[in-house]
Amino acid sequence: MIAFGCSVSEPDAYLRYAGPGLRLAAEPDSQLLILAAMDTLARSYNLLLDAAGQRDDLEALVIVHPHAEIADRELASKLRRALVDPDVAVIGCAGATGVGSIAWWEGQVSCGKVTSVYTDFGGGSFPAFSWTTPGPAPAEVEAVDGFLLALSPWAVRNLRFDEQLPLGHGYDVDLCRQARAAGRKVLTADLRVREHRSLDIVSDRELWVESHIAVARKWRATLPDPTGAEDGGQAGEAGRLWARRAEAERECARAVTYFRQLGYEARLAGLEQSLRDVTSTPGWRLTEPLRRINKWRRDRAQAGDVDRLSA
Amino acid sequence: MIGFGCAITKPEVYRAAAEVGIGRAAEPDSEVWAQASIGSICASYNALIERAAQRDDLEALVLVHQDTEIVDHDFCRRIRASLGDPDVGLVGCVGAVGVRSIAWWEGSVSAASFMHRYEDHGGGDLPAFSWAWGDAPPYARTGEVDTLDGFLLVLAPWVVRNVRFDESLGQFHGYDLDFCLQVRAAGRKVVTSEFRAVHHHSLQPFDDPEPWIDAHIKVAEKWDGVLPGIGQGAGTWEERALRAEAVRDAARLLDHANGLRFEARVRELEGALAETTSSISWKVTAPLRLWQRRRARAR
Repeated sequence: MIAFGCSVSEPDAYLRYAGPGLRLAAEPDSQLLILAAMDTLARSYNLLLDAAGQRDDLEALVIVHPHAEIADRELASKLRRALVDPDVAVIGCAGATGVGSIAWWEGQVSCGKVTSVYTDFGGGSFPAFSWTTPGPAPAEVEAVDGFLLALSPWAVRNLRFDEQLPLGHGYDVDLCRQARAAGRKVLTADLRVREHRSLDIVSDRELWVESHIAVARKWRATLPDPTGAEDGGQAGEAGRLWARRAEAERECARAVTYFRQLGYEARLAGLEQSLRDVTSTPGWRLTEPLRRINKWRRDRAQAGDVDRLSA
Repeated sequence: MIGFGCAITKPEVYRAAAEVGIGRAAEPDSEVWAQASIGSICASYNALIERAAQRDDLEALVLVHQDTEIVDHDFCRRIRASLGDPDVGLVGCVGAVGVRSIAWWEGSVSAASFMHRYEDHGGGDLPAFSWAWGDAPPYARTGEVDTLDGFLLVLAPWVVRNVRFDESLGQFHGYDLDFCLQVRAAGRKVVTSEFRAVHHHSLQPFDDPEPWIDAHIKVAEKWDGVLPGIGQGAGTWEERALRAEAVRDAARLLDHANGLRFEARVRELEGALAETTSSISWKVTAPLRLWQRRRARAR
């Protein structure tokens, strides 16, 4: 039995996105675990693990974010194929190798048929992670995107989301690292998923920065000390160079981001001017009443269609 | 005598920008040393300094990037006023305080009397905050700063005879902060003044980030502990590294988001344009626009 879980922090989003996706992907015997979100995402997700772990017939638990919409009727069979390998613990629709931090997408991305759907600027969609060139799924990776996580029975019974990382970002990378540290595999699968996200990607960057630090600090403890110092990284030559390099890269990234935004604004200014030029011509202004009448007719026709459908 | 120096890698850029500005600012007795670059900017500038140092009557040496155009006709009068203080070693029109690295713009910028003029994406002008002093924000002021932007540097005779650009820093980056720090370490002042320049520059900070990163590290290593602030930060090395990596990745994330927002907005505008120009109204009024264009041409 494949179970589906969602921790509902935004009921509207669940009704619009995650809910229809779960109905599409679930099988007749699937268990749906739809629970109200608690104070942290890790605690909420652990409750899903606890509930699913009680089922002896569990084949997998699929956890979706309320904004993730599964658009793949074959999801269950694809997961079963991936889980034939008993070492597989975590499966996602997008992930990466070369992951150095919670910004897993800075690695080499592998991605199924994942679409980012947005409502800003009149709405539309992009292939997910379009700023990079994703490789195909399936692939073995180091971490997957937490928007959709499929966990093997072993993972459900042996892994837990770390409740000491309470800030809500990086829980996916952390769980994947736990799985790999236990000798298990993390995979991407060729799943069709729509992620309904804001174009801002992350709404609170300060919180994201703190999460980045917390996850990095946790996993550094298990790695050889790159600072080369015995005193907490205060004096080591390697530590100093590590910090110097990181600070230089930080300021470089900020400068690049700033200048790129200037470029975007310059290109948009040209397009906006073209639109102004077109709509400020006397001919365009002269024919405005005509467009208003046309719009009124279209709206009326649409309203008529809705009435007919309702009837 | 006020001398002007420029190291040239692209003669057409020099002719279009620096030469125009020098022509505007120079006095009849000014010497102009416009010479081909001889490698790194530090080596080129040191060669220019050596030439200027031979002049006993030198009042100042003005070093401009080839893409920098001075706009003030009374530029020489303004820099003489700044150099009236014998402790002033360097003068510029863009500077900052609280500087910790070669990314001096991450400090508190106190004067930015320049215009960024770009040709990419159809071209445009981006006046910085004290391009027009009447509209400048309350923190805008001239006076002593930690560092100047190296696109335009005015060197006092003492500096010309006693300080040299550090040729170990690399090809191009960080030389301005390092030079200002040398001047300040020697007890001289670095100040901004009320003159202005246009920087003709593309909308990208550098072609290859790696030399910039390398220079950032070298300058931090060289000056940490020598002058306050430079190369310093809060916390242990580990804490600094972890936070810097997090903020770096957050900046990249913002960059990705900006790219998505840009693409989405382009789609929206292109859609609106296409909808407009394929509408019946637009087609019906085509003869009117044709007539207007003909009338405009006839004028």
